[in-house]
Formats: sequence, C-alpha cells, structure tokens
Amino acid sequence: MSFDPASVAAFVDGELDDFNMRRIEREAATDAALAAEIARHRALKARLSAHYAPVLEEAVPERLRSLFTANDKIDTSLADRRNARARFSGIHWGAIAASLILGLTIGLRPWMPGAPVAIDSGTLVAAGPLAEALDTQLASKQPGDAAVRIVLSFEDKAGRYCRSFESRAIDGIGCREQDRWQIERTLPGEASGDYRQAASGELAAAAAAMMKQGALDATGERAARDAGWDRRR
Amino acid sequence: MRFEEELVELLPRLRRFARGLTRHQSDADDLCQAAIERALKSRDQWQSGTRLDSWMYRITRNLWIDERRAAGRRGVHAPIDDAVTQVAGEGAAEVEAGALRGDVDGAMARLPDEQREVVMLILVEGYAYREAAELLEVPVGTVTSRLARGREALMFYLGEAA
Repeated sequence: MSFDPASVAAFVDGELDDFNMRRIEREAATDAALAAEIARHRALKARLSAHYAPVLEEAVPERLRSLFTANDKIDTSLADRRNARARFSGIHWGAIAASLILGLTIGLRPWMPGAPVAIDSGTLVAAGPLAEALDTQLASKQPGDAAVRIVLSFEDKAGRYCRSFESRAIDGIGCREQDRWQIERTLPGEASGDYRQAASGELAAAAAAMMKQGALDATGERAARDAGWDRRR
Repeated sequence: MRFEEELVELLPRLRRFARGLTRHQSDADDLCQAAIERALKSRDQWQSGTRLDSWMYRITRNLWIDERRAAGRRGVHAPIDDAVTQVAGEGAAEVEAGALRGDVDGAMARLPDEQREVVMLILVEGYAYREAAELLEVPVGTVTSRLARGREALMFYLGEAA
C-alpha cells in the first residue's frame, strides 16, 4: 500500500486538499489494499454514527427542558409571547436562518462520488447525490454525517419549492422546476475552509430574500417531499 | 432570546455528545444539565456570532473531565484506559475483543478519555481536525494521533468488519 495510515484516515475524514483527495480516490481504484483500508475506516465511522444516531431522535427529558422555562419566567406575559412570535415571523429571519445553519452544519465530512451538478439545456441543475439529497432528505431528519446537508426548505416568491444545502464541494440553493432542481445560488462548499462561516451567512441571507413566507416546518417539508416537490399536486 | 433558542436546538446533539463521553444515559443527562446550567450562568462569555455548539461542547467536555478527575480522587469509577489491555497481555486482549464484537459502548468504554472525546468530536459529531483541536485547546497533531490510536483500538475491539 502506497499510503500511510494517517493519509487514509485524513481521506476518510475529508481532511485532504482536493488534489490529494483525488489522488487517493484514483489510487484506490486499482490498489485493493488501499480500497480495503478505506472501507474499514468508513465502516467504523458508519458504525459509530449509527450507534449514536438514535440519541438525536429521543425526546429531550423534561429536566433539561425545564432549565430553560425556569429561566424564561420574565417572559411569560401574553404580550411578550406575541412579541416573540412577531419577531420570529419578521425581519429576524436571516438571523434565525443563520443560527439554524450553524446548528446544522456540523457533521459535514462527506465523500461524494459523482458530480453534484450538471448542465441541462444551459441551466445548472443538481445531479447525482446532490439531486438525491434534494429529492429525499428532510432537513428535520438527516444523518449527522450526511454528504449533503439540507439547511432550509421554503417556498419562493415565484411559488416554487426551494431548498438550501451545504456539502463538501458546493453550497447553494436549488429550486424545483420542470422536475429537476435548478441551482439558483452557489457558494464554495466546506472544502474552502475558512470562508465557511461567511458563506453560511450569505446563504442564509439569500434564502431569506427569496422566501415568500418563512421556511417550511418539519410537517410542511415532509408533505412537500411526499408530493414530489410539485406544487400542483 | 436567541441564545436560548439556539441552545434548545442544540440539545439533541449535546445529549449525543454527552452519551458518548459518559456512556450512560443518566450520566449523560446529568452532564448536560450541569453544562446547560453553566452556560446559562455564563452566557456573557459566549461571543455572539461564534459557534455556540463548540462553546457548549467545550463546557460539557471540561465539566466531564473535572468530574472524572474528582471521581478518580474519590476512588470511584477508576478510569479505564488502555493500560488494562497492555497489562493483561495480548491473549487476554484478544479474548476481550472477541467478547466485545458488536458492542460499541463496551469498545468506547475501553478508550482513554482523551481518545474517546476526539473520536466523538470527529467521527460522530463531524468536526474538522482543526476545529476539534481548537475546542480541546491542544495542537492538531495531538488530535490526529489520539484519533489514530482511538480508531485502531475501536477497530480492534469491534473486529475487522467494524
């Protein structure tokens, strides 16, 4: 095997630069020992993720939730609650979206086979694993190590369903049109490192500007997916 | 307002991280509770615009290390580390690994704390090496070597087909 164990681990963890990622990918195609080593590392990672994933689905115990309500006592008047709701639906969307993104970006160590985008009749559209994630993945329920993370789903001002996403190679917003996901906004993905946080903010702002109302909640998102992201259905 | 909302959003992940560190549901929730109380009390120290999750993970992890040290001094929960397998010799380690095949909790329990936290942050929570190093306040090289040792040990305990 022509690679040291640290490089294999870094490859699986998405820690190599693009050049070395591709180099190892290429090498693994013909080097069975390397391919087996990569598979072994992936299997361990998948095993650990699967083992701890159910914790995310558990109801948060009341004793943890109550720590916040105890702290909220000043904020229990009806007027305050109404104000809080108004703040939610209004101009603070960008900030909330940004915080959601911060909450959801963790767990991005994907290894993406295939190109995430393609050109179809002069339009940039999602392909491969990105298209699949946009089709099926729910922002409210996705694995911690998903290769593509759906950040928000929403209806845009033109009445299309749109979804903002982040991945290793590319971040952006895809909108459903003619049974495919047109890529409306793109930003460099996680691979570009230090720009990540700025990119997340930019993406959130772009999504907020496109939204007709707010983001879909978990129920709305599921319903939209089950209808094939088709607004006529 | 925003601080608390973000913190609530974070709870499922925080519980997962704590579960990995402590390996027990009730210990994990005790740890989460302590971390949340600490965070609410010292929220002024969190800089808005920085990652709340990293800040919370750091608080949680530090509380856990403190707890482990205190427990060590009290003589309870003696830390299990790889010394066990080294002392017991290879034959015993093989037997132990055989018994553990399929038991992720058991395998994680056999990692030293400093390897377990790195495994959780990088392999489960998806942190980049550099981010994990910042969170733990150690050099990146320390993170990668702990990760490598933790990984090898887990693969050993869980069997080739990990």
